[in-house]
Amino acid sequence: MSGAHVEPLTKNRVGQPKQPKNWRNPTLLAITIGFVAATAWSWNFIDMTLLTLFGGFSDLGNLLVYMFPPIFDNFPEALRATIETIWMALIGTTIAVVLSVPLAFLAARNTSPHPLVFAVARGVITLTRAVPTLVLAAVFSISLGIGPFPGIVALGLHSVGMVGKLFTEAIESTEFAPREAVLSTGAGKWQTILATIIPQIIPSCIGTALYRLDINLRESAVLGFVGAGGVGFLIQSELRGLDYQRAISAVSVIFITITLIELISTRLRASIIGDHLSTPTNQNVRSLARMARDQRLIEAAISTRRLTPPWIYERILRVGTGLMFLSLLVVALITIDMPIISAYKYGDDLVRSIGRLYPPDFTYARAELIQGMLETTAIGFTATLLGLVVAIPLGILSARNIILRRSVVLLSRGVLLLIRGLPELIVAVLFVAAMGLGPVPGTLALTIGTATFMAKLIGDALEEVQEAPREGVSATGATRVQEFISAVLPQALPNLVSQTLYMLDVNLRSSTVLGIVGGGGIGFLLLGSIRVLDEATVGAIIITIFVLVYAIELLGTFIRWMVE
Amino acid sequence: MQDSSTSGADPLISLTGVSKRFPNGTLALDNVDLNIPRGQLLSLIGLSGSGKSTLMRHLNGLHRPTSGVVKVMGVEVSSASNRQLRGVRKNIGFVFQQFGLVGRATCLENVLTGALGRLNGPRYGVWSYPKQLRSEAFDHLERVGLVNQAYQRADTLSGGQMQRVAIARSLMQQPQIMLADEPVASLDPESSAQVLDLLLKVAVEEQMTVIVTLHQVELALGWATRIVGLRDGRVVLDRDATTLKQEDAMEVYQRVDKSLDPDVARRPDASGVTQRSVQVAP
Repeated sequence: MSGAHVEPLTKNRVGQPKQPKNWRNPTLLAITIGFVAATAWSWNFIDMTLLTLFGGFSDLGNLLVYMFPPIFDNFPEALRATIETIWMALIGTTIAVVLSVPLAFLAARNTSPHPLVFAVARGVITLTRAVPTLVLAAVFSISLGIGPFPGIVALGLHSVGMVGKLFTEAIESTEFAPREAVLSTGAGKWQTILATIIPQIIPSCIGTALYRLDINLRESAVLGFVGAGGVGFLIQSELRGLDYQRAISAVSVIFITITLIELISTRLRASIIGDHLSTPTNQNVRSLARMARDQRLIEAAISTRRLTPPWIYERILRVGTGLMFLSLLVVALITIDMPIISAYKYGDDLVRSIGRLYPPDFTYARAELIQGMLETTAIGFTATLLGLVVAIPLGILSARNIILRRSVVLLSRGVLLLIRGLPELIVAVLFVAAMGLGPVPGTLALTIGTATFMAKLIGDALEEVQEAPREGVSATGATRVQEFISAVLPQALPNLVSQTLYMLDVNLRSSTVLGIVGGGGIGFLLLGSIRVLDEATVGAIIITIFVLVYAIELLGTFIRWMVE
Repeated sequence: MQDSSTSGADPLISLTGVSKRFPNGTLALDNVDLNIPRGQLLSLIGLSGSGKSTLMRHLNGLHRPTSGVVKVMGVEVSSASNRQLRGVRKNIGFVFQQFGLVGRATCLENVLTGALGRLNGPRYGVWSYPKQLRSEAFDHLERVGLVNQAYQRADTLSGGQMQRVAIARSLMQQPQIMLADEPVASLDPESSAQVLDLLLKVAVEEQMTVIVTLHQVELALGWATRIVGLRDGRVVLDRDATTLKQEDAMEVYQRVDKSLDPDVARRPDASGVTQRSVQVAP
């Protein structure tokens, strides 16, 4: 990037759209060419052709035919396994939050006590994120045995990567003024942190935790594939036994559960993060009545000099949600098959099982290791590009400000929500069942996941564009399509590039575990090595995965830095 | 310019040869000597960047001097331990330009944080403070005229109201000294007058020693008993407010006028003439 090019960007005033970038921008062009070249190589490497692509969908059609009519006699079993899945996600997320809070304070620039502590805390957060949950669960199941316990530990540890990172960012974005002011009153360090930082970060932390709960529910639905508890085991064994009519019923139970919980948590998140809950934006009769009630309560509390806060709607909602969560957690801990009191005893086993991965042995399965990693990379790239191709039209259709027909927007949003309800690995298991082992079913499963997720991101990105440039272009007499191309797209493009990179990152991580269900890539070798307790090779694979994921993250950061 | 108002007793606040150089190389305070006796209402004036805020933050140990000694109520703040520092801070109310309220917390909670220095251990939420302190916090909110907002979130208030809540929080400390760093710079004229009046009223009632930094000279002259002017981190003016004319105070700001024209800066005698002639010319 030349200096002359950077200049006008820095002069932009805050709130104005950035200088539009198009294909003539050399950086963007180079990145695009690189991405397309990598995808072309990938496409070849996994022997993907348009024929296999469409053949895959017809195989899937056949599988669906085998699945009907569904047999629901295993419903109680599916329900029990699904409830176990929910409890695992709940406990795992709670563990992650409990670990993340202190870690985030040590890793946040404005609260970390020492540069060394800062570096270590950051390192721990990055490290936990690098190894996929399913891999962790498979490794832990060697020492902790089969069942939900290793799954919960894996969920808890891996989630620290995201939860800790977002908590850290929340702490770093707090205002300094209240801290300085409370410190000036003679309060101690911890008193000040509790009085000023915690109230500022709580809403965003709750939002993060709920979001992670959603993700963990999907993750825990597939942990059963490595014997780590939940509904995954049931689905896999039914598919293995070619019992498709029963498999579909287990799949639909978890599918409905995930979709329902996502709807609830989205609602909850919106109402907790909402900046002014006490002044709702929609002035309907109910919210007006609620405001009037709150006002009465506050006035009564003031006139009687009540020394505890009155029970206004916001407080009832907060406390109610908190109590509900606590009681669910208690139920989860009581029902689930997991050593709670004696969990600490397993600490030793856990450390030892991680210790046995060292020294790693790269030589024993050298050829498979290289082949597996190349395949994993190829799957990641192909799925990202294919997903993007599908996601762009879907994303445009779900943007409220582009498509003015509300029914179309609602329909496409609904379809996206429904497809998102199936975890990628479950889709992969179904594809593998339909098409046989290999990278193609894995790639197709990832493509579907990518397409729905990206479509949502694209829709959101489009809805964030500013209206003024659009009005300007429309005022010149441009058609809707012209206006979209020249006023909307340039605004949304940087966001799109960075989200594609993010998706690539996510897909490479996901494709490391596809092999566990036979969907191609390094996961196959990993599961095989775990089964025969070849821990040295497992260590080598984990290190290779870590290096790949970390390299992609660095590349992503670099490209984002170049583009923005 | 000599300090005209030192009383015989040991001053409540004393700065001796205080200099502060920030890590980026800026010399914010340059060999400042200042004694402030009990009960004084002092106004610090000067341009932004003249060192007013830095000086204030040295008084309660938010900043430590590069050299020199800061003594407040008999404690050497410049070298105090954390424990000693907390002891000093408990007795110093500090009102900031940006209020320093936790927006998501209620006014009552914000006022209660002023009592943390008196309590042991962290607190979170109204109910974690003793009943008697809560009642006290109500009294202070009543005093600043915001008791009706006690259970309202701080970020729903206007700027003037927020600053009054911040004053209530300081009152919660039962301080002997009140520092206010540009307390009205972010407020409209009407709220400014209200906030300054309130500050003065409680200071007189509680017999507090008050230091306020202001960049509006008229406001400073209106109520302070002593005016100290800072320029480039040095004390360039220190007078009894009653004998000080507005023009004299304005001298503190003159550097900017001169620096605009390098010729004038070199020949200070000519400055008045040139400027006047320029004004008349068109």
